Amino acid sequence: MSTVKKYDAIVIGGGHNGLTAAAYLGRAGKKVLVLERRYILGGAAVTEEIFPGFKFTVCSYVVSLMKPNVMRELMLPKFGLELLPLESTLTPLDNDYLLRTADADQTYREIARHSRKDAETYMRFGPAMGQIGMAVRPILETIAPNAIRPSLSDLGALKKLMNHFQSLSSEQFEYLTKLMTMSSADFLDEWFEFEPLKATMSASGIIGTFMGPKSPGSAYVMLHHYMGDIDGAFRAWGFQRGGTGAVSMAIARSAEHFGADIITEAPVEKVIVKNGRAVGVALENGDEYSSDMVISGLDPKQTFLNMVDESDLPSDFVTDIKNFRIRGSSGKVNLALDALPNFTCLPGDGHHLRGAISISPSYDHLERAYDDAKYGNFSQEPFMDMILPSVLDPEMAPPGKHVMSCFVQYAPYDIKGGWDDTKREAFGDAVINTIARYAPNIKDIILHRQVLTPADMEKTFGLTEGNIFHGELTLQQLFSMRPAVKWADYSTPIKNYFQCGSGTHPGGGITGSPGEMAAKKILGIWS
Amino acid sequence: MSFKNPFTAETQLKLSPFFERTSKLNESQEWKRWSGYLAATQYELTHDNEYFAIRTKAALLDITPLYKYIIEGPDAQRFLDRLVTRNIQICKVGQVMYTPWCDEHGKQIDDGTVQRLSENKFRITSAEPNLEWIETNSAGMDLSVSDDSKTTASLALQGPNSRAILNAVASDLLDSLKFFWMMDTQFGDIPVSISRTGYTGDLGYEIWMNPKDALAVWDLLLEKGKPYGITPTGLQALDIARIEAGLILLDVDYISTRHAIIESRKSSPYELGLGWAVKLKKKDFIGKKALKAEVDRGSEWAFVGIEIEWDSFEKLHREAGLAPGLPCTAWRKSTPLYKGNEQVGYATSGTWSPILKRYIALAHVKTEYAKENTELDFELKVEHFRKLTPARIVKTPFFDPERKRSCPQ
Amino acid sequence: MSRFDIIVVGGGLNSLVTASMLGKAGKKVLVLEARDQIGGLASTSEFAPGFKCNDINDVVKWIDPRVMKQLNLESYGLELHSPDLVRIALDTQGQHIVFHRDPNETADSIANHSEKDAKAWKAFTEYIDNLTYFLEKLYELTPPKLPNIGLKEAFSMRAMLSPIRRHGTRGLVDFMRVAPMMMPELMDEWFENELLRAGVSTAGIHHLSFGPFAAATGLNLLHQHVHSKGVFHNVHFIKGGTSELPNAVKLAAESVNVEIRTNSKVSAIHVENGVCSGVTLESGETFQADQVVSGLDPQNTFIKLVGPPKLNPTFATQLRNINYRGSTARIHFALNALPEIKGVTEDQMGTIFSASPSIEYLERTSDSVKYGRLSENPFVEFSIPSILNPTFAPNGKHVLSATIQYAPYHLRGMNWSEELKNKLKNNVVNVLGNYIPEISSLIESSLVLSPVDLERQFGLTEGNLNHGEMTLDQFLFMRPTISTAQYKSPIENLYLCGPGTHPGGGLHGANGFNAAREILK
Ligand SMILES: Cc1cc2nc3c(=O)[nH]c(=O)nc-3n(C[C@H](O)[C@H](O)[C@H](O)COP(=O)(O)OP(=O)(O)OC[C@H]3O[C@@H](n4cnc5c(N)ncnc54)[C@H](O)[C@@H]3O)c2cc1C
Repeated sequence: MSTVKKYDAIVIGGGHNGLTAAAYLGRAGKKVLVLERRYILGGAAVTEEIFPGFKFTVCSYVVSLMKPNVMRELMLPKFGLELLPLESTLTPLDNDYLLRTADADQTYREIARHSRKDAETYMRFGPAMGQIGMAVRPILETIAPNAIRPSLSDLGALKKLMNHFQSLSSEQFEYLTKLMTMSSADFLDEWFEFEPLKATMSASGIIGTFMGPKSPGSAYVMLHHYMGDIDGAFRAWGFQRGGTGAVSMAIARSAEHFGADIITEAPVEKVIVKNGRAVGVALENGDEYSSDMVISGLDPKQTFLNMVDESDLPSDFVTDIKNFRIRGSSGKVNLALDALPNFTCLPGDGHHLRGAISISPSYDHLERAYDDAKYGNFSQEPFMDMILPSVLDPEMAPPGKHVMSCFVQYAPYDIKGGWDDTKREAFGDAVINTIARYAPNIKDIILHRQVLTPADMEKTFGLTEGNIFHGELTLQQLFSMRPAVKWADYSTPIKNYFQCGSGTHPGGGITGSPGEMAAKKILGIWS
Repeated sequence: MSFKNPFTAETQLKLSPFFERTSKLNESQEWKRWSGYLAATQYELTHDNEYFAIRTKAALLDITPLYKYIIEGPDAQRFLDRLVTRNIQICKVGQVMYTPWCDEHGKQIDDGTVQRLSENKFRITSAEPNLEWIETNSAGMDLSVSDDSKTTASLALQGPNSRAILNAVASDLLDSLKFFWMMDTQFGDIPVSISRTGYTGDLGYEIWMNPKDALAVWDLLLEKGKPYGITPTGLQALDIARIEAGLILLDVDYISTRHAIIESRKSSPYELGLGWAVKLKKKDFIGKKALKAEVDRGSEWAFVGIEIEWDSFEKLHREAGLAPGLPCTAWRKSTPLYKGNEQVGYATSGTWSPILKRYIALAHVKTEYAKENTELDFELKVEHFRKLTPARIVKTPFFDPERKRSCPQ
Repeated sequence: MSRFDIIVVGGGLNSLVTASMLGKAGKKVLVLEARDQIGGLASTSEFAPGFKCNDINDVVKWIDPRVMKQLNLESYGLELHSPDLVRIALDTQGQHIVFHRDPNETADSIANHSEKDAKAWKAFTEYIDNLTYFLEKLYELTPPKLPNIGLKEAFSMRAMLSPIRRHGTRGLVDFMRVAPMMMPELMDEWFENELLRAGVSTAGIHHLSFGPFAAATGLNLLHQHVHSKGVFHNVHFIKGGTSELPNAVKLAAESVNVEIRTNSKVSAIHVENGVCSGVTLESGETFQADQVVSGLDPQNTFIKLVGPPKLNPTFATQLRNINYRGSTARIHFALNALPEIKGVTEDQMGTIFSASPSIEYLERTSDSVKYGRLSENPFVEFSIPSILNPTFAPNGKHVLSATIQYAPYHLRGMNWSEELKNKLKNNVVNVLGNYIPEISSLIESSLVLSPVDLERQFGLTEGNLNHGEMTLDQFLFMRPTISTAQYKSPIENLYLCGPGTHPGGGLHGANGFNAAREILK
């Protein structure tokens, strides 16, 4: 055992939020140490060359929710943040397709091919949701108040939010309420009629969620995906050159620029708590580091049930954390391809391959996929959100070859009988068969495939139950309740122990937000 | 209809049924997007000849991109009376009415013309797609709505010689066709409808036809119109003419309330100078309550014509060592108007009027400054520096020739 | 043409409550009911020669105490029978869970399945009781008009301080946590035994088109337990049949000179320039009034009776977007003898039975709604009303009335034909057969009420018994629409008082009571 130098703060986990917190603290002049369990930084925002020459954006694959001020304040463009526009969404259908592109006229016409009414509505829908996205921004940017015993500043923040809501029009407030409570299908049914359009849009409401598009509550997840913007364009998604791991690396370089030390292959075993106060951490290899503050970038289950002893926590809080829902429902299949997939509906190369490709031909398709998972199986015909990173950034694959990222639902963590190699491969096959229905050449062009089940994600990335958001985005797990009431402001019942992962407000996705707000909260305490 | 443009990649835009002709005539290859169509900005390298065709000869414009809807059925008139602000009940068969329509808060959605094709059949034109609005608000009424945007092609023939050309082509004389009326006739054996309407404020007609006849109609008009100086004309020239005529343009002079996002971007017909088209005496229509309240309360904004005073405009340029930099094409950039230190309005489009030899613009101003002859200051940039120059509120239309409405004796 | 101060359209429970309260305040009130009897969903009828049934509701879960008191319903003959045994969650092996008024007794029954759950039971009922107290207070309020809530509105919400005082902000937080939950989430926090988890979850899906995996089934569960005084699955039977409840309100109404006409179907509500002035009957008769109050659902009130051309576009859109989609059917069986239920003694028969073996069973059966088909193994809740009311059946014979989920109004590729109704009946008989082996031989005749029948006979849009789904997006200030949540519609002088308004469905009269208060403002 060796005790090395003392830090102002130690961040457990080199995920993008942990790194963001470290960078902000460093920027404020604090000496910070980041300890990452894996050989590589990034957590769920990671790029790895799994097969020689083929770089996989292993888990997350697109960026939209990254906070603009974080990009600016951490000077991320300087350290390698380069977001390429993801220009379109293609929904292949059995004998047709639905295509939405960056061009309003083209999108209008493409939708009008299927429904003129929807084409018109679509033009209103975008700005309306942009407004709602803007309306919720202040909530996202507020440190969630303590709902049990609000402090003076909590009350001030609440008052500000109340005023903000009063400034909304009744129509906006109505949409917002509906988005907070409805199913994404019900919400979209109020606007649109063409089912493949609705199904594809509703899919934003099921990503990372153990719900179907017809499950109440899924509309909020859809809203969660609407809140981002790129260069001021709301709801726009982009692809980071080099994969999402390059976002994490940009943040890491920024953190280092601000003086942070980062150590990989340094799994933390326990937070050292003395007299109800965190004073440092102990690694699995026995090394100990001491610091004034310890910040966990892990999910709430890890942060509280693993990193510290239950006996150091109040029992009602332990109950709350145990009750925190964190079911995983997503899988990921990454493919190394010899050539481009050829979609029957739009054969050959074309603009459409530069965007997202969504396997969501109907609500029924999504709901059946969900039913499979609900009753403990992976989806036989899953929903998929796919991109071809190598089309956007040729360096992702050897010249002429391609990589394809397939985000897949549903793959329940609690699969009947548990996950094993056979099931993983069967799941991979289900994915390939489903793609083959729309791009029959897929089977012939696969060079390698990587299949990740929620169990794999738990094992490899430390995501409890494989939940991609460190906890479900249900109404009762948001804002002042995320991850638990009284402790939603990044602090914890243990003094000097803080949390900054996606399991805190405002939740998952590559946002940098929990990391930033946690750092700001901590700096507030420090000063 | 799928015509491969020889100059460019295959376009992803819609092509009008006239494109096969217009694309070959377009010497400048300058195109604009209009409702998803490729539309000629100008045919010649400069637009001057096209502008003067409107005012002195005859200009031929492809206006197919307009959105058109057919509303038919026993409740068609009752529905339109609910939809628009003008009184459709008194619109006779063969008559056309220009009208705005609003949401329930009395804010304008769009404007266009309503043609009464028969007792129970109407065509309504609009700048933006309105099918959804029309369909939702006709729920519970006995009528059918069909999108006529692609099923009818249309041309505008505008200018003092337009009647003569049509008389030469059509099987009926147009001499007795009055302003804002329409008639069915034939070009040879091609059936067409002709309305005496337009967007130029001049004598002019719009011709409505089946798209399959489009090329034949185009060819006939060009051939018979040649002696009268018929000129294929693009949107650049049209924009000047419509400002001279004091006619508003959606998305330039106002924003549809359906897309306006924020309250302050919305305008009522009163605020767009269309108060004359709001018939508060007719039965309930969408927006009536709010419009009535607006009348009682007084509108906050007015829509006016302004003339930028020549002398000081010239002087400002002279001081910079320049000749007066006149806008020879219409501009569409919101430009502040001041009274003293206070900004009291903004001009939304303006142009040098070649026929009037005046610098004119259309503007939103606070009601108290809307009286004719009120002097305001217009912001302009002379050689990178902001200046203010006097402008005066004037009556619109700026240009309003007798021939627009009159019929030959 | 006659003039009244106020016309109430519809003669259901809430309409009668509103009418009575208005009559009490000295208004001249006319109630117009389309059917030949008042009471709406609280009606009783003869469905086979000599056999009577409670058409829709065999029990009431709670009655607004303000209604009981202000209208003095007991003095008009209302007699509630509150059984000690409130429900039996049936087990195919006969190991039923018996829910008692006394939680300790319920715990004893649960202990046969799980000691752990038995221990948790009392705390659970107290937990739920605490949370429902928030709803009790909320239900007495007129929802605020959001987002423009000013001091006045905030002040009007002050009643909500009382539950906060009693249960603390932690109570409020728990309420806000549980209301949006789905049943398995709530159950995971409390219980392990499937029969119990499902038996409790049935309260969350009552009359919903969703299954237990739907968020905010928590709210529905709480809604069922308002004023239940800690009794989980609380129910009251009404002596003489459920129709005796509206009959008592009718007597109260008549005592304050309310005029009630049956067989008077309103065919139009007059609106001109946004102002309501009266109604026309199908017979052509017209009535004028200062105000019109509708106890019908929003669809019937505004789309059918006012007409879309009279509605402003935003309101019309809001109305179009209300979700109804009834998914509940009723079947009444005329039985030639008292059925024998495995493991149930005769003195336990006068309660509600539920066939709900597991949450997965309930969820699977709910899947039928989204695919527009019939549940093969439906969730069946039944009772034998002829036990409490012997007049319901000839001597020695009995009536078994079942409530079935899910029988969706919107079907794909088929419609509610006699054949389909028969199929539903067979499915139900099969389910019942798991517990009452000789059920088939007992049935003399039966009546199936599909959602389409409910729509046709009771004027319920899409057969929804709650006049609009009881979901979080149609709750409080969103019920029935954000513009109509204060019982007042955007049309001047036209009000709503039915279950489509806050606080939603059930035979409790709270909607009517609150509406009357708003009208008298
Ligand atoms: C398959 C998948 C696809 C996704 N797709 C997208 C997408 O396209 N767009 C988007 O915006 N979001 C997406 N997400 C969500 C997003 O990636 C995550 O929400 C986000 O990356 C989480 O960041 P974090 O920093 O909060 O946590 P993490 O990234 O989980 O970081 C936690 C870090 O802690 C480390 N760690 C764990 N235990 C220890 C220990 N004991 N000691 C030290 N270190 C430890 C882990 O290795 C990890 O690096 C996706 C997620 C997944 C899983």
